[in-house]
Amino acid sequence: MTGLDTAHGRLDTPKGGLARRLRTLLGRLRHRLRRPPPDEGENRRRLSPVHWSVSGISAGVLLSAAFIAVLAAIAHIVSILAMPALAERTAYDRLGELADANMMVMLPDPAPDVQVLPMMDPAFISAVCVFDLGEHPLKVRVPATADYTSVSFYTAAGLPFYALSDQAAGKGIELELMTASQKAALPEDEEITAADRLVIESPSPDGVVAVRAFVRERGMREMIRRQLEAASCAPSR
Amino acid sequence: MRLLPLVFTLFLATLLGLGVTWVAVSSSRGLDRVQSGAWVGWPRSGTAKADPYARAAVARSGELPLELADGLLFLATTDDAGHPLDGRCETRIAGVMPQARLWTLTLLDADGRVIPNDAERFGLTSAEAVYAADGAVDVRLAARARPGNWIPTGARPRLTLALRLYDAPFSFTSGAGDASTLPRIVREQCQ
Repeated sequence: MTGLDTAHGRLDTPKGGLARRLRTLLGRLRHRLRRPPPDEGENRRRLSPVHWSVSGISAGVLLSAAFIAVLAAIAHIVSILAMPALAERTAYDRLGELADANMMVMLPDPAPDVQVLPMMDPAFISAVCVFDLGEHPLKVRVPATADYTSVSFYTAAGLPFYALSDQAAGKGIELELMTASQKAALPEDEEITAADRLVIESPSPDGVVAVRAFVRERGMREMIRRQLEAASCAPSR
Repeated sequence: MRLLPLVFTLFLATLLGLGVTWVAVSSSRGLDRVQSGAWVGWPRSGTAKADPYARAAVARSGELPLELADGLLFLATTDDAGHPLDGRCETRIAGVMPQARLWTLTLLDADGRVIPNDAERFGLTSAEAVYAADGAVDVRLAARARPGNWIPTGARPRLTLALRLYDAPFSFTSGAGDASTLPRIVREQCQ
């Protein structure tokens, strides 16, 4: 009751006519809510041992509404958190059907009827490599193409964890992808040369590498596709 | 509580929770929304720090999102006045693009696919666009050919615009103020 009283008390000052109308409306509404329907009393007694009510809504109804809200929130949070693990059509799954692990494949250009992955940029040519670091680290080579080229790394759930673009145009990129334990197992004497090598630590043993090359002019599409075919990924040992 | 209402309550709660999940995952791409006019971006969803909603959305859609170091995606489904983008209308996208190594503008249908047309023109890139003297672009979405920067809409009733800024030197992670320079989207006339 108090909630309703303060609500229309506040409304009272600014606009007298509206507030008065609202007050009578609220009063009528309150009256109706307070009067219980004929058979509600018995129901209420059965649902809950406490006989109190807020604006005529029984405690049992309120309690189950709160119960539903809490359970719904739990179901929502659990399903959101579980989705990356449970989703069956992730990019990793889709590309896994297309090619074996640890090899680079060219993707067809996005077209109205061709869509290997959703939300691909049609102005780019893409190559992907599904990787499995179970046995060996992965060596990724990205050739220089005529224009902007980038390489991005994703976990199996599609979460990007690293990307690099060709800062100096006309220079290829060479990277090594490995798990934390493989990186720790790098021999001491190789640590010195590791400064020249780009070593990337993967948070998961499997995932996807995507290489994208921009096509500046339509006529260059074939040429850039041929240049990108030089991209490779292979287990290093 | 008797058994039947309990089962019913559990069922209702689960249904409600999963329903909210479905809506969240299909309409949003994460919690860190950056908005500029009708454009919406989710910069953090392109990093390893993506929130659970962004992770769920990516896993469900099956895409490989742009890494923030590579590029940044903005989507628009309405014009600046809030009307849904309609391919039967003529829509203008005008303004100066933010500083980036390159940008691409892609037009998608309601299912997120590119729209078929004879010219195989699915969008516009910074390399193809015609610029005004002050560096502004003026792009027209229309069903019929227009001079200058034209993207065919195929007269689809619902469109989505995707603007990707590649190798952008600025950071959008600090808040909505930074994105205030994206081009305006204005509906011109409808057939």
